[in-house]
Parts: sequence; C-alpha cells; structure tokens
Amino acid sequence: MSPTTAAARPAEAVSPTFAASLRRRRVWIGLAALLVVAAVGLFAVQGGSRPEGVPLGADNAAPAGARALVEVLRDHGVEVVPVDSLDDALTAAEARESTVLLHDVGLVLDDERRERLAEVDADLVVVDPTVGALADLAPGVRLAGTADGPLQDAGCEFSPAVQAGELPDGLATLSLDAEAEAEADGWTTCFADADDRAAVATMLGSDGRRSVVPSTELFANESIDRDGSAALAIGMLGAHERLVWYQPGLDDADAAAAPTTSELAPDWVSPVVILLIVTTVAAAIVAGRRFGPLVVEPLPVEVPAAETSLGRARLYERSGGRTHALDQLRMGAIGRLAGLLRLGRRATVAEVVGSAAAATGRAPAEIEALLVARAPQSDTEFAELARAIDALEAEVRRATRPDDVRRSTAPRPDPNPSQEDRR
Amino acid sequence: MALTVRFVVLLALGIVPVVLAGDAAWWMLLGWVALVAALAGLDAALAGSPRALALERRLPDRVRLGEPVVSTLVLSNIGSRRVRATVRDGWPPSAGLVGDNRARVMVPPGEGRRIETTLVPWRRGDRTSEAVTVRSTGLLGLAARQATLAAPGRLRVLPPFRSRKHLPSRLARLRELDGATPVAIRGRGTEFDSLREYVDGDDVRSIDWRATARRNDPAVPGAQRLMVRTWRPERDRRIVIVADASRTAAARIADEPRLDTAFEASLLLAALAGHAGDRVDFLAWDRRARARVHGVTGPKLTVRLVDAMAGVEAELIEADWAGLPAQVRSLTASRSLVVVLTPLDSPGASRGLLAMLPQLARDHLVLVASVLDPALATASADREDVAAVYRAAAAERALLDHDRLAAAVRRLGGDVVAAAPADLPPALADRYLALKAAGRL
Repeated sequence: MSPTTAAARPAEAVSPTFAASLRRRRVWIGLAALLVVAAVGLFAVQGGSRPEGVPLGADNAAPAGARALVEVLRDHGVEVVPVDSLDDALTAAEARESTVLLHDVGLVLDDERRERLAEVDADLVVVDPTVGALADLAPGVRLAGTADGPLQDAGCEFSPAVQAGELPDGLATLSLDAEAEAEADGWTTCFADADDRAAVATMLGSDGRRSVVPSTELFANESIDRDGSAALAIGMLGAHERLVWYQPGLDDADAAAAPTTSELAPDWVSPVVILLIVTTVAAAIVAGRRFGPLVVEPLPVEVPAAETSLGRARLYERSGGRTHALDQLRMGAIGRLAGLLRLGRRATVAEVVGSAAAATGRAPAEIEALLVARAPQSDTEFAELARAIDALEAEVRRATRPDDVRRSTAPRPDPNPSQEDRR
Repeated sequence: MALTVRFVVLLALGIVPVVLAGDAAWWMLLGWVALVAALAGLDAALAGSPRALALERRLPDRVRLGEPVVSTLVLSNIGSRRVRATVRDGWPPSAGLVGDNRARVMVPPGEGRRIETTLVPWRRGDRTSEAVTVRSTGLLGLAARQATLAAPGRLRVLPPFRSRKHLPSRLARLRELDGATPVAIRGRGTEFDSLREYVDGDDVRSIDWRATARRNDPAVPGAQRLMVRTWRPERDRRIVIVADASRTAAARIADEPRLDTAFEASLLLAALAGHAGDRVDFLAWDRRARARVHGVTGPKLTVRLVDAMAGVEAELIEADWAGLPAQVRSLTASRSLVVVLTPLDSPGASRGLLAMLPQLARDHLVLVASVLDPALATASADREDVAAVYRAAAAERALLDHDRLAAAVRRLGGDVVAAAPADLPPALADRYLALKAAGRL
C-alpha cells in the first residue's frame, strides 16, 4: 500500500461506457419500446371495452350470450337497456312501464338489494336464480332439478307460455312449496311434468308480474331456436316498451356479499407479489452481470495415445480375427523365445520350436501346435492358447535362467542394444 | 453500471413498508421501487470512475512450469473521487492464479495501491492477460460502475526441465570419460590427454612403451612401471537436435505429450553436450521450423532453448521429413550427431522418415529417439479375460511394429533409442555418452 509514481495517463478502457452501450443497442431498445407501446395500445383499444363472454350478456354474440334475443326485441320496438347496478336498474325501470330481467351471473346480489328489487314497480323475470334469490324474490318456489323429457303442455293461463306451446327437454325446473304458501300468493307453474316440476313459475302481484325461469337455455343464442323457447322469451320480455337487462356487476358487490379470493386476501398481497417478482428480476440481473469479458484459454492439441491400440483390439474382437490376433501374440512370443534361447534375431520358427522343446522337454509337435499350427475356434480357446503361450514362455525362462525369478511381464529384448558392442 | 446484492436486499426489504401501508400498498410499492432505483442511480453516479485509474503491471518475463511467480498490479487514481473497487485480472485458467481472482482495493484520489497475486502456471507457452476489469462501488454499496481497462501482460512459461535431476550423474560420467580412463580407442580424431599407470583391465594396446622405459618404479629399484596413454574425447563436435512437433507429437503418453518428453530429452542432452564442449543446435520441426536455436554456447544455451521451446505446441499436421536434410545442412556443414525425436509408431506414419533417413545418414550420425508407451507393455501381458487378450494382441502388434521400424532405421544407417517418457531423457543422455566414449561423434 504505497503511493506510486505510475504514469499519470489513465488506462485505456476496452469496454464501452454505459451511454455508449445504450447508443450501440439503440435499435433493439427502440424495437422493444415500440413493442411495449403497441401492446399497451392494443390492450387499451380492444381489451378494455369488451366484457368477454358473459353468459346471457345483451351484447354477447357468443353461444352463451343473448344478443339474438335482444336484437329481435329491439326490432319489435322494445327498448333494451343493459345495466349492471341495482340503482341503474331501478331508475330505468321506474321511468317507464318496463320489464326487468335479472340474471345474477356473478352471484353478487345480497338479500337487501334483492328485497329492494322485489318491490320494483315493473314486471320482473328472474333467470337462473340461486336458492337465496328464490327465497327473497319468489317465496315458496323451490328448485327441482332437471326435467326428464320435453315439456309439451303449458298447462297454465300465462299467455307467453301458451303461445310457446312446447319446450325442449333437459331444462332446469321448479316446484311449488307443498306448504301452499306460494299458491296463496298466487304462484302458478307452467310446463309442469308428471312430478309437478315446471320450467316456469309466474305470479301476478301488486307491483307487476313476477316470473322465474331456472334455465338460461331459453334465452341463450345457441339454444333459443329450439322448440318454443323464442316465443316464451319474447312473450315474457317483450310485454312492455322497455326491457331493463340487469346483470348485477361490481357496483352491487359489497362487503356483505360473499367474499371472493381477492377480497379475502389483504390489500398488500398483490403488491408484495409484484415486489417479489421485481426483486427476482433484479437478483437475476445482479447474478448475470459479467465481471469483464470472457478469457479464452488456448487449448493445445492432445491425443490419447492408447486409442489406436484399443481400436485395433476392438476390431479384432468384433470381426472375430482370432487367428490374426493370436498370430501377433505368437510373433511376440517367438521373438522373446529366440532371445531367451540365444538364437539371434534371424532364427527361424522351426529352430525356435526345436530349441524350446529341447529346453523344456515338451514334444516339438505340441510346441509347434502352440506357436504355429493351432487355429482357435472360439474366444475361449483363443484366450486359453494365449495363456498356454505365456506358460511356455515362463517355462523356457525357468529352464534357461533358473536364477531369474522375475515373471514374464516384459523382459522384452532390450530395445536399445548398445552401440558399444559393435565396435 | 452494475447492481449489487445489497440492492436486491434493499428492494426485498420493501415488503415491510408495503405491508404496513394498508390501502396505499400499490403506491408504496411504486414509491419504494422508485426510491431504491433512484438511490442506486445516485450511488453509481457518485462512485469514483474506474476509467480514471492508471494501471501498471510488474511481472517477471519468464517462469518455469509449475513454479510460482508474483504478479503485481498497481492502480493509481488520477481522478478526483475515491475509488472503492473490486478488481479482476484477466488471466486465463492455465495461468494458475492462486486464490480468488477478485481483489478489493480502496484508492484515494492521487494515490496508488498495489495488488499482488501469485500465479502458478500449469501450461507451457505464453500466458497473457489482455485487460483488467474494475468494478467501482458507490458509497452506499447499491450500484457500481464497471470498466474493462487495457493492461496487456505476458508471462512466458518455460518447459520444466524436470530431467535436470539426471544431469549431475551424467556429468560425473562425462568427467570419468575425460582423460581418466583409456576407454577411448586409438584412431582417427582422438586426442592425446595424459599418461598414467597401467591398471588391470586396461587395453594392452594403449601401453606406451617409451614412457614405460623412462619411468622407474620408486618402490622396487630397477623395475619399471607400465604406463598407458589416455585419450580425451573429442571436443567441439556438433549435435543437431530435431524435435518432431507434428501430429504424432500431440499424443499423450503417461500423462505427458510426446512433445514435452522430447523437450525434456533435448534439454538434458543439450546441457550435457554443452558441458562436454560440443555445440548444440535445436530445431522444432513439422512442415517448417517452428523453433530454432543456432550457434549458442555456454550457459546461455539452456536459457535460449527453453525460451524457444516455450511457445511450441504440437499441431495436427503431418511432418514433412523430406525438408529436414536441407534444414540440417543450413545448421551445420560438418558431420554431426543428428538426434531426431519422433515416435516410431506405425510403418505408414514413419514412411516419410524412413525415406529421408539414408540421405541424412550419409553425412551424419543419426539417432532416432522414440517415446514408448509403457501402457503397451502392461497391456501385452494382460490375460484377464477374452477382451484383455484381444487388447494384449493389439498391444503386441504395436510393439512388433515398433521393433520392425527400429530394425528398419538401423538397417538404413541410423540408431534408435526407445524408452518410456520418464526414461527417455536419461536413456538419450546415456547413448550420447556411449557414442562419445566410443569416439563415434
């Protein structure tokens, strides 16, 4: 740690500055920005305006929507007013003589609001109600499951039902309470099957007609053309010059309503999740920032030397070249035997065989078979022959050099015969 | 610009205010992220610029492979702000940097600091570091400015010359040769050295009768003592060492490339021959001279040799042996010992060498030094199972090939030294001593 007298010139930087790297990537940064702007714009134009796929939505042309019915009603001069809050619905209904359709898709209406709606001074058609809604809006009427077959007979005085004539099968049904409370209020059912389960329940009260239809199929785009569905729907909803199409929305939801997951969770959950995502991204950036450029390690060429020999061994093995492989061992052994028996480099095989036989006392024919003649028929025989040749070599070594106890590994002929001997 | 772990931790700590904020959680989130980002930006902006550093390297030029060397990097701050930085020097892995390659320094303006690191290179050749990367962290430690500064450094890693352990014993034998014994025969080119008393085993032909006649035995009056002439080996012989740097030298035997073994053998031979007063030229050859040392004598020879060898690596090309005689001619005009360090592996690969050999052997004494794979001898004795016997057959075949090639070289007038990598340098040195003793140089 000492001050030094280094050159006062700053070292030349190899990496670009932050601004320079921004400038260099400006095309990509521009493209990315353009993409983001385009995505945001597209979302603003399209995504925000369309309440996608609400069942029985007045504007929904999807199979589950009810736009077909709404358009037909409009063609007949009925003013259809889609609303999503109770206050709007009441205001619209009370301004003129109206019919109010209630379809509580999100199950958001609470008891208090349903009671306010029950007192509206207009016809009320309740589609697909919950048990709670039935208790408030049509006391004494119960849900009764799915009808067994087509409902062919209206069986009541309610004129839209009479006009409809026949309804498709598989509709949800209602039944009247056996306590007769409902009948006392004037509720009647239409399209009842053998078990008194009906597709429509209706009552003419002091404020206006109250009807309950438990199935949405009668209004939906995909099924309104089946049997008398359209006639029933138009008859019920087109009775007055205004139809308030009320599907309760967010404005009707409050703390008293059934809480959703997002309402149950505290306010900070979503921000914390976002914060964790941001933190993760920041951690990734920190971990991914390279400390300077990669350094190249120039690797020298290196070849494992034993490859050739191993490759040749596998070739022998795969092609079954036993005789050829054995010949290599035999040639090596003959060379070594010639050295052991002091026969010189030019000794013939016959001389080696003869000398070996003499040294070991074995039959020359046996040694010749071992060193020359026998061709192995199987791998086992090949290995046996190889071991037998080894044994012969060891025997000759013992016979010629009894004092030399080293085994047969590789006292090969000295690869470096000294030049001194030659002078 | 770089962010730090502290930045991430601070960002994560935002959970506390966001949870406590209640209704305003979203705003708190936005505010926190903006605050942390602004702090980081400010921190980076106020950090001392790494570009205001002057660098100076202090590094020895050369080091033997496997020996440690201290690399010093001096950072001088010529900017106006204090630089707290982490510094990384761009050495490749084979430079063998000991410890962590991240040094933390604090350099006040106008001062300098030294960073010392130890390198133990584990690969031969030039190890270079092009640049030094400096990450200057701000006061808060949230963000840093990073720059890579040019600071070229080069460390030449020399061959290890491990075989020098064999040198003292060979030098001792060289001195024994030198006029001490009459092993050298009379003949062309031998030089008279001295007279000494006859001992049992001396060649009777080297008895000098005239000297004997002049010399009376002091112990036994009137008797003579037999005197012999001794001869000192010739000096100023020429030796040309040719190391094959082609693809065959790339083979790794006993965890050492053949080329490195060749260098070890060359260095030992050159050191020995230098002491014996012979002149040594060196050539690393494949299709061209990859390294060449000519006309250097004395202690500088080894230095020049290791320097020339340092940068040579084997390449995957075939050696052009036909061009070698001309190269040898350009190094020496007189009769020399030409040592060719190349493997005698397979007849196909050695055909070029065998074709060239007679031409070289006509003018020079040629010695082919070849590395033998000890794994082959082990494999040829293995009879463990059938696969092992096949391997033994293949190994035997390789050894037979080698023997056959060695015989061919001898027939063509050359001589062969073959040994395992660890044994080749002393074997070559011994052969040189034998040739010298025999007066064949």
